[in-house]
Amino acid sequence: MTIFTCAPGWEAMLTCIYEASESKLGYKNIRLLLEPLGQQSFLDEYIHVEPDEAKAEKVATSIIRGISYHFYQELAYTAMAYEEDVLDNIYHVLLLGFRFGENALKMVQYRDIIRNREIRARVVREAERFREILRFHQLGNLYVAHFEPKSRVASYLGPLFQDRMPSENFMIVDDVHREAVVHRKNEPYYMWQINDREFARLAQTEEENDEYTDLWKAFFDSIAIKERANEKCQMSHFPLWARKHAVEFTIDERG
Amino acid sequence: MYDLSANDSLKEKLTILSDAAKYDVACTSSGVSRGGKEGFLGNSVAAGVCHAFSADGRCISLLKILMTNHCIYDCKYCKNRVSNDVERALFTPEEICTLTIEFYKRNYIEGLFLSSGVYKNPDYTMEKICETLRLLRTKYKFNGYIHVKAIPGASEELLYSAGLLADRISINMELPTEQSLSKLAPNKTMKNIIEPMNRISGTIAGHRVAIGKSARMERCGINKHLVNSIFGPEAGRIEGSSDQPFLYPAERNDALLRRPFAPAGQSTQMIIGASNETDLELIRTTQALYQSFDLKRVFYSAYIPINDDDTLPGKDTPVPLLREHRLYQADWLLRYYGFGAEEILTKDNPFLDYRVDPKCFWALNHLDIFPVEINRAPVEMLLRVPGIGPTSVKRIISARRYGNVNFEMLKRMHVVLKRAQYFITCNGKMLNRTPIEQRFIMGQLTDLEHREVYQIEDSLNTGRQMSLFSDCNLEMA
Repeated sequence: MTIFTCAPGWEAMLTCIYEASESKLGYKNIRLLLEPLGQQSFLDEYIHVEPDEAKAEKVATSIIRGISYHFYQELAYTAMAYEEDVLDNIYHVLLLGFRFGENALKMVQYRDIIRNREIRARVVREAERFREILRFHQLGNLYVAHFEPKSRVASYLGPLFQDRMPSENFMIVDDVHREAVVHRKNEPYYMWQINDREFARLAQTEEENDEYTDLWKAFFDSIAIKERANEKCQMSHFPLWARKHAVEFTIDERG
Repeated sequence: MYDLSANDSLKEKLTILSDAAKYDVACTSSGVSRGGKEGFLGNSVAAGVCHAFSADGRCISLLKILMTNHCIYDCKYCKNRVSNDVERALFTPEEICTLTIEFYKRNYIEGLFLSSGVYKNPDYTMEKICETLRLLRTKYKFNGYIHVKAIPGASEELLYSAGLLADRISINMELPTEQSLSKLAPNKTMKNIIEPMNRISGTIAGHRVAIGKSARMERCGINKHLVNSIFGPEAGRIEGSSDQPFLYPAERNDALLRRPFAPAGQSTQMIIGASNETDLELIRTTQALYQSFDLKRVFYSAYIPINDDDTLPGKDTPVPLLREHRLYQADWLLRYYGFGAEEILTKDNPFLDYRVDPKCFWALNHLDIFPVEINRAPVEMLLRVPGIGPTSVKRIISARRYGNVNFEMLKRMHVVLKRAQYFITCNGKMLNRTPIEQRFIMGQLTDLEHREVYQIEDSLNTGRQMSLFSDCNLEMA
């Protein structure tokens, strides 16, 4: 079996798909994997693919023209996921898409489609969770939020928060994938790759606890009804892994 | 006693007034979709967004506060009644606005829920509330979600202003009958609650028609296509007498905001367990409210004994959480599954079964129409199968177009086969060989977890030795 590998990122993934289908080896004889690779097999041949803008552009255009923009968008959501088989899945779904058109996404009779729906649902669910639990810290005129997602969902959150606070300066920083949504007052947002120096500087922003954080904590405590206390329910809605940057759960070290 | 507490710090006020507001159930930010605007702060999402979950497991979506907990009324069940000796506080409009704006910018909340005790008189209170909302919408340019409580007895103009400034407006019904209302809330009358409710629903309808929408609120999802649903065309609607809707006073300041009147509709809340209503009465009232006043939601609040009073249950009465849960399930059946109140409960059996949810209970009493064939059953029937909800129905229907559906696919579609397997077939076969027999299925559905909940709630059953025969269905015929 021949295995095509590429670095994470939409452009690299599309280039990888281009190279895989250009190889004419037949979809049963190839696999597509994202780097870094785990255990490698000596029976398989590994081909590394470098991102190429022109080739990626060709694939994107043929998906949008040949199938639909909606289909392209759904695949882009899938690509945000952290699952190991995500690139392979996108390739197979794409083949089904070229065969059946946009409706392929509804044909749950195919395992690849079911898997694709699972991956997409996971991405959207995670993104929607962060839409709820993101917490901004005020730094003068700027509001900064840090979060640590499994999937690369920052670009999903960008338009949502731009609509929510169109006339504020804010940044949403993904500490895991080192990317950020940057929004200036009354301007469209853009994505930014963070380097080490910027990252170190940004890490300090969460140390500031302003007056309203304290007020929020007071509100959070007094709004709960003691007679109905239900830790299990709270835990299932707001699991521990999600509480890392939620200010209401952090213990104030100043006493 | 009327200490204006102007010198209290903001934190103390917030603690007192959010603590006083916590018994109001509604904390939803749903019902209206509105994009953000340059120069303004906030938007609104039709599905609503929960931002945190408090220690009782309830979501925090809105900054839920009272403007003041000073109150001239003496409702028996209420913590803030005039005869209670509690700490009182009063927010200024500016304080409420700053809190809302600053919390909103930090993504703590989705909007404001503003209620109040009756301070001086209903009109004065409502005027203060309107003043706050007007400030928030104009000076602070807040475009997010606002849920406002209407004070029973306030004048029409003020209600009209409040409706224009807020997204949802609600009047608490508290108790479903005139009799219990006069017993537990002597200062309120049914007329004072029903009349403004009727006016608000008339005004909402008027505003909707004026911008080319239907007079009735849209119902979400599959529900709008169901013929037999309580909102459907076949249902005998009791039309509210909306012959006197609010007029549109063009010269008013609020009308210049060009906002629709309460676009997210109105809701109400009823207390469960403070008086002796049956579940059937509550469900019937709920359905009547949906049909005649086109309410978006009816909330239930399990009564928490805070006050000592002869007319109320004793202070050590357990909070009827399971009853509240079952009532919400029944409410969902009304709103999303096309059930009617009469189907869920009957006169001979006026309380919901604590062991299984109302949908399972209905199915167990109608076993003659089961099992249902997944590949051929109509939507209405699929919705009535326990373990299958509107989302699963949508998935099944869309998958059926391209081929047969089997159990593995149902599992992947997140159909709850644990419950559904007793009531369905795929291509003529059931998942396991299970008899379609009421007693057997009831035993299967009442699993251990449910049994524990049942025993906690029903004090008669606690401390009973479990029997191998009666509890595990091993009894010989």
